[in-house]
Amino acid sequence: MASAAAAAAVTLPRVMLASAALRVAMLVLGEWQDAHLEVRYTDVDYLVFSDAAASVAAGGSPFARATYRYSPLLAYLLVPNSLLHPAWGKLLFSAADLLVGLFIDTILKLRGVPDSTRIWSVVAWLFNPFTFTIGTRGNCEPIVCAVILWILICLMNGASFWYGLIVHFRIYPIIYAIPFVIVLGKSYAGPAGRPILTQWTSKQHLRSDKSSPSAEGATSLLINLWNSLRSLVTRNTILFGLLSGSMFFLWTGVFFYLYGWEFLNEALLYHLSRTDPRHNFSIYFYHIYLHHQQGFSSIQKLASFLPQLIVQLALILRFSRDLPFCLFLQTVAFVAFNKVMTAQYFVWFFCLLPLILPWTTMKLKWKGLACILVWMGSQLHWLMWAYMLEFKGQNVFIPLWVAGLMFLAANIFVMLMVINHHKFTPLFSSSSVKSASKIAAKKE
Amino acid sequence: MLCVSAPAAERESMAAASGPWLLAVVAWVLGVAAASSSSTGQAGTNQKFNKCMPCSRRYVADSYLNTLTGQLAEHRDLTETSDSADLCKGLDYDLDAPMLSELHRRLVGEGSHRRLVYHVKFANCADAMVNFLDSYDANLVVIENLPNGVFADPFELHHFVERKVYVDVAVFGDTNLELPSALSNRSSVEIHVDLAPSASMNCNNLVIDLPLHARYPRLDANGYATVEFGSPDLLLRYRKKDVVPDSCSWLLKDLDAAPVEKAAWRIPCGDEAHIGFVSSTTFLSALVCSILIVIAALFY
Repeated sequence: MASAAAAAAVTLPRVMLASAALRVAMLVLGEWQDAHLEVRYTDVDYLVFSDAAASVAAGGSPFARATYRYSPLLAYLLVPNSLLHPAWGKLLFSAADLLVGLFIDTILKLRGVPDSTRIWSVVAWLFNPFTFTIGTRGNCEPIVCAVILWILICLMNGASFWYGLIVHFRIYPIIYAIPFVIVLGKSYAGPAGRPILTQWTSKQHLRSDKSSPSAEGATSLLINLWNSLRSLVTRNTILFGLLSGSMFFLWTGVFFYLYGWEFLNEALLYHLSRTDPRHNFSIYFYHIYLHHQQGFSSIQKLASFLPQLIVQLALILRFSRDLPFCLFLQTVAFVAFNKVMTAQYFVWFFCLLPLILPWTTMKLKWKGLACILVWMGSQLHWLMWAYMLEFKGQNVFIPLWVAGLMFLAANIFVMLMVINHHKFTPLFSSSSVKSASKIAAKKE
Repeated sequence: MLCVSAPAAERESMAAASGPWLLAVVAWVLGVAAASSSSTGQAGTNQKFNKCMPCSRRYVADSYLNTLTGQLAEHRDLTETSDSADLCKGLDYDLDAPMLSELHRRLVGEGSHRRLVYHVKFANCADAMVNFLDSYDANLVVIENLPNGVFADPFELHHFVERKVYVDVAVFGDTNLELPSALSNRSSVEIHVDLAPSASMNCNNLVIDLPLHARYPRLDANGYATVEFGSPDLLLRYRKKDVVPDSCSWLLKDLDAAPVEKAAWRIPCGDEAHIGFVSSTTFLSALVCSILIVIAALFY
């Protein structure tokens, strides 16, 4: 009863208002900390963005600022930083952060999740300490999150425009290309000519193959593979590919014309070939540091790329029809197996987490809590060694690298837990009916 | 085959030849500097020099320091601009410019981000200094030649200029902020500090902060790489307040900074002995983890 009353008190406008107030408070606190304490609240990258924006405002190239590795669009967005107020960008990013909250609500509403469940998913984003600090510290990721969710909202009408734009802005969403194409490839048109979304129900049938042996899983994977390949080429997918591709090349072309190779090298190619020998969460950092003097053999390059490729393909083939779930797992895996990993990348999957919460059977007590603790604990453990190395100057490369391996294990543990407790629900209905009937037919 | 191999061979021979060639350039420039050392107080020497440079030139160090960083020098060193020009005509060398009485330099902090802190004191502090600053604009110029393995962030220093901590600052040489020592060259920092505000207080006990950052050092079995700083160059740069724009030039006076205490920075470094097991364990863990995910997807 008490929880019901609490749920009634927690409405979307109230949550939005409270989180807006929280962000304003964080902005003010951050300004105070920057002025008074040695450790700055503001993200180092925010200073880079601001310098690049100042350069643009002065008529120059944003790439005049060393280590500016983003699309010039970001510098344009922050031009008011030098014209109006230095905190403009933080306000903008925090606004995008709030928008993500609204989009989560919209998506879950479209998928038929009731108010009471929806609101807690929104809260899981808006009051996640990782996310509300990241926008107020001046990190641009909330904008990317907002556009990714916006793409999910308008997957059919105009999604390609946004997808081309956001891949130009930040490259990582390129990993969503195949699942998008797979989902678009199936004809889900309902009677009204629009795809039918599978609606959330509180008593969903458990995973159809929970009791089925491994062989069934393997064959369904093969069937999936065949279906996926066959459905990759349709009018919808070709249109999506052409439009988003030309959108990407249009933006890239315009900025290549304006800023030349500097833009291409810094904003695009740098991210594709990035290897960082300096410590970061990635398991590969010490390996890269140990080899930086002699370079890498092609076998080593392949060995560090292969696990990423295997995982991405497996996740896409198995889960792409439950699109938000697939995107979430892909992002967690992409970050976990990447050659460079910093805390800002976590926002990429935190914005997708609320989209899968209504379909999880995991309870906060105790499995959910266990996941959170394992993930946070291994991260704090890593941070402790990183602090010893960077701020105390102690040689702790080996413990730091082991802590990175442990963090990878924690990420995998969380992924396995999430997979095992997820109620697989295809985004669009018609296909789920088809495949369900297929499975039923098979069983008979 | 030929088409492929020919450029490769060319590249190799160029790489092999560039070493001695660079050395020759450096030797030539140093030779020029030595020949004209009657008036050059180059880094490390204690010879006095008074010279001038046009106001249009912002920095003292931009030309000759390039030779230190292994880059091609512009062949324009201090001597050229100072002695050859008519600039210095009619400028007063024998002026009673402030003399340095004390200079201390300390490396402050722990870990990868530290500060070099300079404490500078002038001899004739009270009245003479005030008189001097009444008629002259004067800057203290600190030139620190950073050893390999340590860098200054020009953007960070630029914010010091915006906050009016420095009058001006520049970093010459390799200013890449991310590369490890093995893949980067040396750099130098030139800081200009206004003498005027400090004259009125504290009897010219000037404190200058230079934030520095460590690069990842070369691999070494010792576990730590030690980076040592040489002595900085301190110059006084001044000009009359009522300058004629056409013939404006700065007078430069070497403050004869005596060698300061050696500053050493111990930076942890990776050990080559780790290569085998670190790389194999890393790849193996990644592979095992990826297979776990595949199995989970397969049996879902």
